[in-house]
Amino acid sequence: MVEIKFYGRGGQGLVIAAQILAKAYFLIGKYPQCYSLFGGERRGAPVMSFLRVDDKKIYLKCEIKKPDRSIFFAPDLIDEDEIERTLKPGGFVLINTPFDRDHFKGIQGLRVAVVNASAIAQEEGIGTAINTAMLGSYCRVAGDIPMNVLEEVIRSSVPGKIEENVKSALQGYTMTTRISEGNDL
Amino acid sequence: MRDLLSGNYAIAEAVRMAKAQLIPAYPITPQTPIYERLSEMESQGTLPGVMVRVESEHSAMAMCIAASLAGVRVFTATSSQGLALMHEMLHFASGNRVPVVMGCVNRVLAVPWSFGSDQTDTLSQRDTGWMQFYCEDNQEAFDTVIQAYRISEATMLPSMVIIDAFFNSHFIEPMDVPDQRLIDLFLPQATLPERFDLNDPAFISNVVTSGAQFLPFRERAFTDMEKAKEIIREVDIEYRAQFGRGYGMVETVQTKDAQLVLVTSGSMTSTARMAIEALRDKGLKVGLLKIKAFRPFPSREVEDALQNIPKVAVIDRNISIGKEGIFCQELKSALYNSTARPRIYGYIAGLDGLDVSPEIIENICLEVLGKEMPDNLPIWVKGN
Repeated sequence: MVEIKFYGRGGQGLVIAAQILAKAYFLIGKYPQCYSLFGGERRGAPVMSFLRVDDKKIYLKCEIKKPDRSIFFAPDLIDEDEIERTLKPGGFVLINTPFDRDHFKGIQGLRVAVVNASAIAQEEGIGTAINTAMLGSYCRVAGDIPMNVLEEVIRSSVPGKIEENVKSALQGYTMTTRISEGNDL
Repeated sequence: MRDLLSGNYAIAEAVRMAKAQLIPAYPITPQTPIYERLSEMESQGTLPGVMVRVESEHSAMAMCIAASLAGVRVFTATSSQGLALMHEMLHFASGNRVPVVMGCVNRVLAVPWSFGSDQTDTLSQRDTGWMQFYCEDNQEAFDTVIQAYRISEATMLPSMVIIDAFFNSHFIEPMDVPDQRLIDLFLPQATLPERFDLNDPAFISNVVTSGAQFLPFRERAFTDMEKAKEIIREVDIEYRAQFGRGYGMVETVQTKDAQLVLVTSGSMTSTARMAIEALRDKGLKVGLLKIKAFRPFPSREVEDALQNIPKVAVIDRNISIGKEGIFCQELKSALYNSTARPRIYGYIAGLDGLDVSPEIIENICLEVLGKEMPDNLPIWVKGN
């Protein structure tokens, strides 16, 4: 089982991102379980979404405390101590940031990938909706969902600007850098 | 068809397929997505019934009662404060013997205000004369709504189909949505008595003038609720034959040789399955008893499951202040005159949706296995 945690702010499309990814895993025959912390869903407020993926039915009805993959839509929400303490061995961190991997000195020795999803979304004219760029990037780093499957789910899931979102995802896939120390993508 | 649905959407889907004809409802977190999804279906023209946006939960239930008396299949859904506001009308529903089916999403009652799960909202309605079914996951919530219409319409008693806030209501998971054709075969259109004549309207909540007149009404409702047990069992067997899934009033997992049986309800049961598996792997003889039907209470099933079991640990996501966890007290009372007399250890965990991980459940089991006598008061589990 793989456990994935998404950190971001209301308005970035985080909840939908986790659902799109769940659908993509579902389409390739996996058992996904996806949820978001609700109650504080306001634009700008910190939001967390969660996704578990397994080959068989998932019985856990509890929170993800130790993710295999941590996805930061908002880099200001990074707590380096928490990442070091909770990220499972072999996992990775993906960060939306204008900086390169070396900027995140507090999480040395972990697999970290960076992508400037905010710039991509701006470029494609979809404002703060960085979720599709982040998902494209996720597909590159995780390597377990084919891009055509992601594209198919994006086309059936996003409410508008479909072509822009698809392009954003492709850009996210392409523009992702540095997965681990001395091991560039 | 396999589909990815939240617990809320699973209930909405079941209501659509059950062809509920009238759905008066009022939004309240965490039940609101049921209402939203049904509204969306209505706007897309895929809902066989009609939704009515009422001004309160009290009015929603009043409208359910009136429509049901006129022979209409109805549905509503609520949570927490909404259910509390509806309380008066719940008695009118069971007293009028209307087969209303209601989706309830457990949420803490204020104060303090919060959004997490706590079964005290529905358990506070224990004595309203409604049947109550606590579901473990989205699939069971769907299946139970379909079953509940059959059960309620056969017994003329209303039912609540209950899920946990968040862990059920907002967890999106794969589940099986049967063909409409098969649902129609299992649950044909309602043929309810039309007890309200629109051309000759009258006050239908009858008045009696003495206890001697009153008593038979309650006695009859009580007897019919007892008979409902057999109907619940039969409907479940039939459902399993048709759809390959059944749940029983209770479910037992590895209880035969158990030194300790853990008792759970709702979403926590799924997590407990993992904990039991881990404890078994360590060589500990631990089993699980899931209580699905709370009203009518499955006394016979519980007695059977706990014969010769030395210890029982009940985890309650609810609290009756001044006593203990509510499933715990019900379990004790069900066993008092029986030959099954385990020591019963009560735990309160997961209030307001506080996380209950497999590790927490394992620790509860280990503590009980190492403890000679139960405490007089419940033990509060505060998370890890």
